[in-house]
Amino acid sequence: MNLDSLMLIILIFFPVVAALWIAFSKNADNAYRTALIASLVLLLPALKLLDRFDFAKGDVPQFGYSISWIDSLGLNFSIGMDSISLLLILLSVLLGPIVVAASKSAITKDRRMYYAWLMVLQGAMVGVFAAQDLLLFYICFEFTLLPMFVLIRKFGSTNRVAASIKFFLYTFTGSMLTLAAMVYVVWFVAQPDQFGAWTLDIPTLTKYAWHMSISEQTWVLLGLLAGFAVKVPLFPFHTWLPLAHTEAPTAGSVILAAVLLKLGTYGIYRFAIPLAPEAFFAYAPHIAILSIIGIIYAGLICWVQTDIKKLVAYSSVSHLGFAVLGLAALNVTGFSGSILYMLSHGLSTGGLFLMIGFMYERYHTRDMNTVGGLASKMPIWATFMVFFAMASVGLPGLNGFPSEVLCLISAFQSDAAWTAAGEPGAWGSSLGPWFAVFAGTGMVIAAMYLLYMVGKICFGPLKEPEGHHDHETLPTDLNFREIMTLAPLALGCIYFGLQPTVLFDTVSDQVNATVRIVEQANGLESAEPRIMHDTPAVDDIYSNDNGHEGASHD
Amino acid sequence: MMHAFESIQLAQLAFPTEMSTSVLAPYLFVSAAMFCIGLVGFLTRKNMIIMFLCTELMFQAAGLALIAFGRHHLGADGQTFVIFVLCIAAAEAAMALALVVLLFRHRESLSASAWKELNG
Amino acid sequence: MMTASLLNNLLAPLAMLAPGSSGSDEPASAHLAHMTEHVGTGPKWILLIVFLPLLGFVFNAIYAASGNKSKLPAWTTIALLAVAFLATLSMFLSYDGTPYTVHAFDWFNLHYGEKSFVANFSFYIDKLTILWMLFVTGLATLIALYASEYMSHDIGTGYCRFFSAFGLFVFSMSCLVMGDNMLMLYLGWEGVGLCSYLLIGYFYKKPSAVAAAKKAFIVNRIGDLGLALGIYLTFVHFGTVEYAALFSNETLHHYIDAAVAGDFSAIPSEAQWIAMLLMVGAFGKSAQFPLYVWLPDAMEGPTPVSALIHAATMVTAGVYLIARFYPLFLVSENALPIVAWIGTITALLAATIGMAQFDIKRIMAYSTVSQLGYMFAGLGLLSTTGAAFHVLTHAFFKALLFLACGAVMHGFAGQLDLRKLSGVSWMKGWGIVGITMLIGCMNLAGLPYITSGFYSKDMILAEAFVTPGYRLMGWVLVFTAIMTAYYTFRVFFRVFLGDQHAEPGEDFHGDDTNDFHPHAPGWAINTVLITLAACSMLAIALAWIDKSAYHGWVGSMVADSTASFHSPYAVSLAAAHGEGNPAAVAGPVGYGAPGKVLGMDPHGGMIVVSGLGAIFGVLVAAFFHGPKGWQGLFLGGRTQADKCRMDAIAKRAGPIPRWAENKWFVDEFYAMVFVTPLRVVSHIFHWIDKLLLDGLVNLFGFLPRVLAWIIRPSQSGVLQGYAVSMAGGLAVLLLVVIVIVLRAGGAA
Repeated sequence: MNLDSLMLIILIFFPVVAALWIAFSKNADNAYRTALIASLVLLLPALKLLDRFDFAKGDVPQFGYSISWIDSLGLNFSIGMDSISLLLILLSVLLGPIVVAASKSAITKDRRMYYAWLMVLQGAMVGVFAAQDLLLFYICFEFTLLPMFVLIRKFGSTNRVAASIKFFLYTFTGSMLTLAAMVYVVWFVAQPDQFGAWTLDIPTLTKYAWHMSISEQTWVLLGLLAGFAVKVPLFPFHTWLPLAHTEAPTAGSVILAAVLLKLGTYGIYRFAIPLAPEAFFAYAPHIAILSIIGIIYAGLICWVQTDIKKLVAYSSVSHLGFAVLGLAALNVTGFSGSILYMLSHGLSTGGLFLMIGFMYERYHTRDMNTVGGLASKMPIWATFMVFFAMASVGLPGLNGFPSEVLCLISAFQSDAAWTAAGEPGAWGSSLGPWFAVFAGTGMVIAAMYLLYMVGKICFGPLKEPEGHHDHETLPTDLNFREIMTLAPLALGCIYFGLQPTVLFDTVSDQVNATVRIVEQANGLESAEPRIMHDTPAVDDIYSNDNGHEGASHD
Repeated sequence: MMHAFESIQLAQLAFPTEMSTSVLAPYLFVSAAMFCIGLVGFLTRKNMIIMFLCTELMFQAAGLALIAFGRHHLGADGQTFVIFVLCIAAAEAAMALALVVLLFRHRESLSASAWKELNG
Repeated sequence: MMTASLLNNLLAPLAMLAPGSSGSDEPASAHLAHMTEHVGTGPKWILLIVFLPLLGFVFNAIYAASGNKSKLPAWTTIALLAVAFLATLSMFLSYDGTPYTVHAFDWFNLHYGEKSFVANFSFYIDKLTILWMLFVTGLATLIALYASEYMSHDIGTGYCRFFSAFGLFVFSMSCLVMGDNMLMLYLGWEGVGLCSYLLIGYFYKKPSAVAAAKKAFIVNRIGDLGLALGIYLTFVHFGTVEYAALFSNETLHHYIDAAVAGDFSAIPSEAQWIAMLLMVGAFGKSAQFPLYVWLPDAMEGPTPVSALIHAATMVTAGVYLIARFYPLFLVSENALPIVAWIGTITALLAATIGMAQFDIKRIMAYSTVSQLGYMFAGLGLLSTTGAAFHVLTHAFFKALLFLACGAVMHGFAGQLDLRKLSGVSWMKGWGIVGITMLIGCMNLAGLPYITSGFYSKDMILAEAFVTPGYRLMGWVLVFTAIMTAYYTFRVFFRVFLGDQHAEPGEDFHGDDTNDFHPHAPGWAINTVLITLAACSMLAIALAWIDKSAYHGWVGSMVADSTASFHSPYAVSLAAAHGEGNPAAVAGPVGYGAPGKVLGMDPHGGMIVVSGLGAIFGVLVAAFFHGPKGWQGLFLGGRTQADKCRMDAIAKRAGPIPRWAENKWFVDEFYAMVFVTPLRVVSHIFHWIDKLLLDGLVNLFGFLPRVLAWIIRPSQSGVLQGYAVSMAGGLAVLLLVVIVIVLRAGGAA
């Protein structure tokens, strides 16, 4: 185990240790401070990893570490990260101190429990993205449910019990099917004519899974999507989300929107596409249609909401439709745009949820009919609100725009015939202009509902709930701590808006590799070989402490 | 541990041949009878101590059958199991009787029908 | 009917440009190819033009955060914008005829396979850019100066906010005009939309202002969708969105040659669709029918905003868009005729509404819509020069008109109703406003020979008359010009002439209503008004510079850009003068004999018609609205502010004036046909989501409960009951085993 792998392990387990520390400390008053320090400290290994990451080999898992767990099943505790994991891990770690700081005045009782579970969630999220072993991924994937369940169940608002149960059962039921599909893939790969041994190593599985027949792939795809589509959430599996978002505490909503939903798109990108490339290619138009329905349908629902948090929750459904559309396009622009969308949605919607949280702390209502016109009373708050709304609308120069453009262009140009004609990597599945046109109406609808929201909550004559009096401890407008939680997100929005290329370059190799998998599986391989990093032998990636032979024979 | 193992081997040396089926049958008959008596007792009586005794009876019936089969097949497994069963039964007896005493204290009755909170 | 005439006319403007008579063997695309062959790299100081206004935004944001309560924001903004203007001027003076790009930093840079998607934060400078930037930065500086006084009531509250949005607007507009790729244009496009949103909603406590801002943004977004799709299609079809690469693309050149030859079947429909999509964006931003409805409402914003954004600069972005991508429009069979007719319809429709309004700022707003319609007609009639010239003159005189109206509004506590004001010119301190207003009105009305507005409008009208099949459009536009003259001078005669009378508006700043004194504009407002009036008049000279070679100075600017295309008029002019026309490098454009107007050369005839029309309009206005005596040219009979001869006619005309005043109920129509149904659908979706989808989920959650309810009685809680079922179960199991064993035995 080298130092870098250790950093990655620290990112996963240090939050858990911190959680135990918080949970069993004597003094509840220290819980906030401990959690804040722990989450800030976590930034150090994360930045160190960013510094050490070899961007020239973005498609190869780096900082790998593998230790045998259950040998007879080929189960390893094996972690590592490629460029996409890197980005999502950075996002998760960055959000840590933000959500902790945002909770300071909102959570006043059971603080130890709250911060402990928040820390556990941190570790689990990093674990999901770092997992290089299918079962480890699945375990972390499911494990994120538990802290979130507690956060909603224990710290949510009025309807929290129903929300937490629906959240848990819905996503859990979906992921059971995902597990079944994964087990099938593992079984298939273990057949003598394939890899020939039980393995859960994701790169190895990817290498053989596409040998499955199209009907097998279809079943596997359905199984995988059952879990991931619920998580995204893809229309019509989204109904848990508005409820969960509305009832969750601010920090919960932020993490849910910013990271947990991305587990769905990440899962689709990481597993559904490479493990069932032919089936995904065949059903890409159907998936794209669902995502477009989601974009329009959820967008229009946003427009008639009076509960501001529900509005933003539905907007997540609408927005993530773009991300899925990009994935369904199965080309480089689509994948790049989709991955960028995952990050940028995390920043802008996370920001919006924070804004709503800050307002809720002061007014104890989310109903836009009882509170509004806050610009005259809280100008800083209103400025940030307009800013994040515009980022969400997809204003060029801010983060939403590059990702939206790429997702739409990818749908526009996606046409398998081009790939077959020897245009390497560019054209993907068979969507086409109409998909872009209908998805594009999402742009207009986004403007409609977000400006409706901003117009009601920020502008117009000041409206406060009856009997409202100012918060005892919080100032009228945002305080320094609150501004500091928003500033990194706002800066991130501007940075991604102006420097999307940095991200494109980062994920470029990974994305090209995935496109190549799809093309190979569908016999659309380009005439000219593209510059690719050869899939390295596992021994090179992992430093095997236990002398485990790994999956290097092929 | 070692000692027990050796004594089983010695026992096998003392009875080098399999027990015939005709010799086995009575053992099994007695075992079955004991089990049935225990079962019927368990089903019909409401006194919890009697019911507990009935379960012990069924336990021992199974134990008897195990030993008989063990001898029949010249294996040590049956006897080993019986020793486990006896141990567990003893522990269980301690637990169960304590529970019965506790339950009695609550309701001043030993009848099993006094407790049906778990109905659906 | 309309479609039929459109279809008939589809080929008309281009077919007659087919190679033939002039005999040159250069292809039509040669000029474009030549223009974009060598695109150089420009000096970095060009970036100042773009980033100084952004600096203004940053400074003002800092002032706002630090609670500044002085005029510092205004002076900072004015100074930065002035420097930007000077930089633009030196960019103009140092331009040597070769387009160049200036790179700021990388923005989009995505490579895949052999292809790439590149759109950097860099700027493309050619003469079209320079033309637009000159008046954008120049007017922005002037209007910032005006606003420093106009907005002074809000010092300490919204002053910093106003000027930061102002700076951001100029930055966005610069990106729009100067960007070297379509995504930069889109960035600017949405950026100006945002600033427009923020500035229309400047008085954010007023619900009407908030609603207007929202409407502006959303209606524009509809256009933006078209623009965005056009950009994607361009990228997918031509593989690039960068101007230099796009306009030097050989495929595009082939298309142009085919289009000029009238052979549109050689151009794939994808390529033709690009223009149709871009056009939608232009209609949104430039407030053309059917997307014009946001602009009149946008007058809720402070007047300097109306002048700068909603009259002079932002709304001309659509014209810029079409001019910039003129090659793409040329290759589309239907695009330009549609642009022309939409422009004409808009011009007419807006003028009819403008005639019936009483709010002077709204009248100006409708006149803006109407004049933009002229520009679009010009573009559609292949006269980018005419459109660009009209953009320029309109920018001056319409900014002037708005600012003069703003001065009135400022001085009379927000009063804008022309029935409540009279004789403003004669009030103390209002002389300059009166005179400059008169100059503005003359330009807008297009009084012959003495106004720049006449020359620019004339260029577009002439184009309609000389283009076969477009004479109807010409007459519609002339008719509209008469109406324009009428409604413009209606304002002037009523508000600025006659007996002095004024009722203050609602925005009273502390004074007592009974003791109202209009406060006359200060030096800043007067300076700006005088400067703009001078500019409007001096713009006449532009019509004469380079007249023979390029049809005016603006023509020379346009000729050296991607917007350059040989208009039939320019050709006919060149033919008439018997000179070689340097602008003719666009191609061997043949030109048949134009028809006659009033027995004269169509251009000459048109001058007479439109000149007389304008004078006629003014006289009609004088008759109906002019005060008694010389001020009403001895025609008028008005003695009171709120009564005129028109009232009697309006009464007899039935409901029509009321309909016109209510904007022909277009807003209500849209609300009924689009907004309300969409809201209903949204509510239905919401209920579907709540009841059907979530209901299904809950149903699945409920099923296990039902099952449990069914088998629940089996849990009796009686110990013996469980024992019996256990024993029974065991017995059944045993039976099964025995049967299986027996069967197996039997089989064996």
